[in-house]
Amino acid sequence: MKQLQIVVCIKQVPDPEGPASSFEVDSEAKKVVPVGIPPVINPFDENALEVALRLKEQHGAKVVAISLGERLSKPVLRKTFAAGADDLILLEDPSFKDLDSYSTAYMLSKMITKVESYDLILTGRQAGDWDFGVTGLLIAEMLQIPSINLARKVSIVDRNVFVEKLKPYGYDVVSAPMPALVTVSSEVGELRYTSVRSLKSVSGRPVKVYNGDDLDIDPEKLETRGVFSLFPYHIQRECKFIEGGSSAEKGENLVTQLRKNEVI
Amino acid sequence: MEGRQKNKKILVLVERDNGGLAPVTFELLKAGKDLADKLGADLCAAVLGHEISAMSNEIAHFSDEVYCIDNPLLRDFRVEIYAQVLWKICSDINFDVVVISHKLDNLDLVPRLAYKMGVPIITDCINLTIEPETEYLLCTKPVYGAKILSTFILEKKPYIITIRSKAMEPIGSNDANGKIIYLNPTIDESSIKIALIEKIKGETIALDKADTIVAGGRGIQGVEGLRQLEEMVRVLKRYFKEVELGASRPLVDIGLVPSQRQVGLTGEKVAPELYIAVGISGALQHLTGMLGAKNIVAINNNPKAPIFEVAHYGVVGDYQEVVPAVIKKLEEML
Repeated sequence: MKQLQIVVCIKQVPDPEGPASSFEVDSEAKKVVPVGIPPVINPFDENALEVALRLKEQHGAKVVAISLGERLSKPVLRKTFAAGADDLILLEDPSFKDLDSYSTAYMLSKMITKVESYDLILTGRQAGDWDFGVTGLLIAEMLQIPSINLARKVSIVDRNVFVEKLKPYGYDVVSAPMPALVTVSSEVGELRYTSVRSLKSVSGRPVKVYNGDDLDIDPEKLETRGVFSLFPYHIQRECKFIEGGSSAEKGENLVTQLRKNEVI
Repeated sequence: MEGRQKNKKILVLVERDNGGLAPVTFELLKAGKDLADKLGADLCAAVLGHEISAMSNEIAHFSDEVYCIDNPLLRDFRVEIYAQVLWKICSDINFDVVVISHKLDNLDLVPRLAYKMGVPIITDCINLTIEPETEYLLCTKPVYGAKILSTFILEKKPYIITIRSKAMEPIGSNDANGKIIYLNPTIDESSIKIALIEKIKGETIALDKADTIVAGGRGIQGVEGLRQLEEMVRVLKRYFKEVELGASRPLVDIGLVPSQRQVGLTGEKVAPELYIAVGISGALQHLTGMLGAKNIVAINNNPKAPIFEVAHYGVVGDYQEVVPAVIKKLEEML
């Protein structure tokens, strides 16, 4: 039987766990400028990679990570190798600045069809920067394959992918014939640990790099995100700190205060 | 085909909930009405489901036109079928803006619909304005884990926007007398690729309907800590009608609390009367889900925790001592 091919789409983002102060806004250029925080792999995409690696352990798949951007950091993205990915493909081009979700999905779908055959495509449910949560499903629409959103668990039986899919009341177990695309939520669990040593050992591993000219793309179809303005979102309230001699006393005083202010 | 319609039209996708209208529907209608007023457009609503006549009649009090598709296949939300019929409505009638609730199921629906329509989408909007001269839509959404607010400009109609729940007031006026139009498109079941094998129902939790939420975070140590919060929920029920236990993501990720109780960017966005955050440091991705609460109480042992920047009342202390004292005092008082 042909080896299973899994493509994982990963995005490089400024570390979403960074403090609010490290995300500066350049209002003029309508850009977010990360200050003093490293780029990382979008955490939901790491969840997707973890799913791919578990499937690889079970079925002996080939796992290909692909990423698109204008200034990608190879050391950051090589973490995919250290975790267990077989190939890393970067699609890098200065014209890929601030692409909207459509254009991103369009480029990724072109990339996927050009360089790899695929049985399963995995993406994170959304990216930690613009939080649109639409790119994965758009890729599937463009490739005309079935897609399942918001997986908390993924397995493969024969030529079908089975997914526990988040629902408001719990989850649904659904299946789709492959090739298919699944977007992954954090409930699947974090990406396995990669040691400093394993990161070092992959530092020289070759990375395939493509640019826009390598793909059969229609530049007319590329659009940028229409950002009109950007503002830091910071609420600063005057917090009334409850005093007391002990934690317990503060607890009692809190209730008294809330009653006084007719909150309860 | 009739070609272009004379009037501009705004479409709102009606949300159902336990056989009735979900409260968020009235927020969507308000957002749609504001746009319709500014653009001089008709406010239209789409009701999809089975046995929906009562709902459709109610919606007619708030809108100019109600498009209904009543089909047993629409009883439950199945994304491929919903995308198909909604696309059918949108291709028959030229809408300028389609307004949809930013809820879990719709995250699945919207990209499919947008692709079929070939139109842009902006998701999770919390504010909409129209530039009067150009009639361009400016829609604002939190980005970068809610650290930044970004306003996007949509110049070319049509487009789809999803709106965060509780971001808008519910619609007030109900003096419209909208035309109810039943459509009966053929549903092509052969194009359905996703098979539903089983529904696994956890607890039914209506965090968005709660008037009080007691939420725990990373600081809560295990089952014992959780039990204290549940005890607080129990006592508060003497005073408030709907009290629920909530959680920030760490408690959900370690499996202590089901994901339906998660408040934050990837969980529920809530705006209760009272929100008591216990052991929650206040990561922005959590804050974005609860900033709208009327009264926020934070209990945390770290006085520098960011949660105190958004809280109205703060207690710096060990929750294991604070919470029992709060419960005891509440029991005396309520």
